[in-house]
Amino acid sequence: MSSRLLTVSTSPHLLGRATIRSRHLETMLALLPAVGFGVYYFGGPGLMVILLATASAVAAEYLAQRLTKQPVTVGDLHAALMGLLMGLVLPAGAPWWLPVVGGALAVVVGKLFFGGMGGYPMNPVLVAWVALALSWPEQMNAFYQPLSSEWYVSETPLMMLKDDPSTLEVVTRSELWWGLVPGAIGATATWPLVLGGLYLVIRRIVPWQIPLGVLLGAAGMALLAAYTDPTLGELGYETFAQQWSIVTFHLGAGGLMIAAFFLAPEPVTSPVTPWGMFLFGLGVGFMTVIVRTWGAPVDGAFYGVLVMNAATPLLDRIRPKVLGKIEGTA
Amino acid sequence: MSILSLFKGVRLPRSPEPPPPRPLSPPDKVIIPLRQHQGRVCEPVVEPGQEVLLGQVVGASEEFEAAAVHATVSGKVEAIAETYDPAGQRVPAVVIANDGRDAWVEAEGAPPTLSEVEVVQKTRPTRLLKRLREAGLVRSGLLGLPLHVDLSPPMAPRAYMFMTGIPVVRPIDTLIVKAVDHDPPVVTNQAALAEAGEELALGIAALARIAGARRVVIVLPAGVEPPGVAQLAARHEWETTHLDGRHFPYAVDNLLVKKLTGRVVPTPYGEPRDVGVVVEPLVTALDVGRVLSQGRPPVDRLFTVAGDVAQPQVFRVRMGTPIARVIEAAGGLPVEPGKVILGGPMMGYAHFDLDTPVTKETDGVVVQSAESVRTFQDQPCIHCGRCVAACPVGLVPTELGKLCEYGQFEDAAERDLLHCIECGCCAYVCPAQRPMVHLLRFGKSEVLARRMEQ
Repeated sequence: MSSRLLTVSTSPHLLGRATIRSRHLETMLALLPAVGFGVYYFGGPGLMVILLATASAVAAEYLAQRLTKQPVTVGDLHAALMGLLMGLVLPAGAPWWLPVVGGALAVVVGKLFFGGMGGYPMNPVLVAWVALALSWPEQMNAFYQPLSSEWYVSETPLMMLKDDPSTLEVVTRSELWWGLVPGAIGATATWPLVLGGLYLVIRRIVPWQIPLGVLLGAAGMALLAAYTDPTLGELGYETFAQQWSIVTFHLGAGGLMIAAFFLAPEPVTSPVTPWGMFLFGLGVGFMTVIVRTWGAPVDGAFYGVLVMNAATPLLDRIRPKVLGKIEGTA
Repeated sequence: MSILSLFKGVRLPRSPEPPPPRPLSPPDKVIIPLRQHQGRVCEPVVEPGQEVLLGQVVGASEEFEAAAVHATVSGKVEAIAETYDPAGQRVPAVVIANDGRDAWVEAEGAPPTLSEVEVVQKTRPTRLLKRLREAGLVRSGLLGLPLHVDLSPPMAPRAYMFMTGIPVVRPIDTLIVKAVDHDPPVVTNQAALAEAGEELALGIAALARIAGARRVVIVLPAGVEPPGVAQLAARHEWETTHLDGRHFPYAVDNLLVKKLTGRVVPTPYGEPRDVGVVVEPLVTALDVGRVLSQGRPPVDRLFTVAGDVAQPQVFRVRMGTPIARVIEAAGGLPVEPGKVILGGPMMGYAHFDLDTPVTKETDGVVVQSAESVRTFQDQPCIHCGRCVAACPVGLVPTELGKLCEYGQFEDAAERDLLHCIECGCCAYVCPAQRPMVHLLRFGKSEVLARRMEQ
């Protein structure tokens, strides 16, 4: 008995089953419905963009870490998840090199430059997305009309909204929420994103405060816009049901839902405290609708996430109340 | 208690119900540590070679914060040696070889035994307390205080109370008897329900009388309704309530008090008695009843063996039995042993020496095979916030862990490091498997060491 050595360590001696890898794997599983819809809607081009972005992100992480003699962390699936998200926020009509550059940028500039997992200040996928959107606006707006026999570039509902508020009445909500309008591969269909997002919330991989904050913030801001914006006033909306239709438009359009459930709750760049998370989400929601209604860019969801990422250290200062702490003592 | 607390803490995995307790024969040799409580070490009052009888005092102390220790077998003192206490610290111990006679020491001038609740309720509290002190009772559970210390009012009001507006002397009005275990699968208190009877009633009545508590609450594990306890409670107008012990750590004292009475125990230095509550485990209440009705110090205790053994069991063992023997009786260590943990899997201490004895503090032991041992990883924090959501006292463990890792101890202390109860929920939920409790304990010890220097 004495010859067998026993392990000694601090408590706890039980650990939960969650690991970094399992989180990323489950997030990818939750994205599967969105990927399925994207591939169904956009066919070969859509699938190609997703695959190229994922492959590029994984390859970039492997090469960069080998080159800098760091431990290779491809196995934790973070690069694969980032590449998948990158592909989903790109348009199906993007040339082949756009997802390749995007995936590599996300991993190398967005993540590894800042010290890898746990170190980066802003969502690396969106950092890469902004870089692409500013550098190649034409290619980044090559949105295809889904389910068409011949692919052609078309305007998204949000682009049309910029010029003409009556878009709110032209696009039916069921088209919008099922993604039968031009848009990014994975972001245009809203229902599959909601499905995957709810799974993550139930699994507690995504804290419920962030998506709730985003949705409430966007809804609140959309209502505010309905009351105050003169161009929307021309539509003559009087009843609450009519004004609510603006809310359902904003929630279903563009990248809001993928931001709410997948990009904003990115763990490293979002706050950790309950109220901080909620305010972070509210901020993302506000920014989205502000940019869409009054700003120059077409969609504000991704910019909103990046701006609120910068506010994360501030929001982390909103701490929960410590049980049993008496004020004025340490 | 708010609904939000349902989402805090962790739900521990379900473990099989152990069969009812069974006695384990006394060992050939007992190792009796001279400190089996949180407090001062006792002086040995026997010498090697001396014959001792069952229940004879072998270690005593003049200090208030010490509980006397008694021989738990009759036989010859072999040596005064060193062993480990449940927390892994070295402690002197009396080693006694068992002669198998189990001859009790003659009690001289012992007070008459008490066997009726009504009598106990009329006895002066100081008399009762004196008997408990002579029997060397200790509150069962890791880092348990001697029972007479636990039940006595503090010698002087503590400094922190002056600045806080808490009434300095708050009379105790509530006694909580815990039949639910905070760290399953060590379920010693739950198993002790099988022995509930008149002695338990006597013990609870004595504890309530000493503390001065009018209200007595017996906390039963969820889904367990022993008829004996219900009868006792009905007869003596005690309340019973239920609590799910798997919802860790809500059976730990401070959180239990908050849940049952709504009162918040001041931390880091406060105790439940500061808000007028005394919490005692059921095993301790049973021991009090035995001491009063039999007039003898306890020589055995209930002890759970759980985890990767052939037959998880609750035994009634002599104190001082090496844990190796108890584990052997439960089927022995697995082929590839990993960890032997005194206490429970979440808050217990891993041991390497299987000669460590069963003491008044230890509720049980958990055995893990090599393959079920989980190791921490040296990965960076990914800032996911799971620990913040899980922390039952509302800390931000992720930040504290990082501050302690990089030596920013005073910053950590400003962010309420000392309020941590070391329950381990943060480490349990951490996807990066960071050694959270290790980091926070390290930080705490550094902060306290620096404050001592000043």
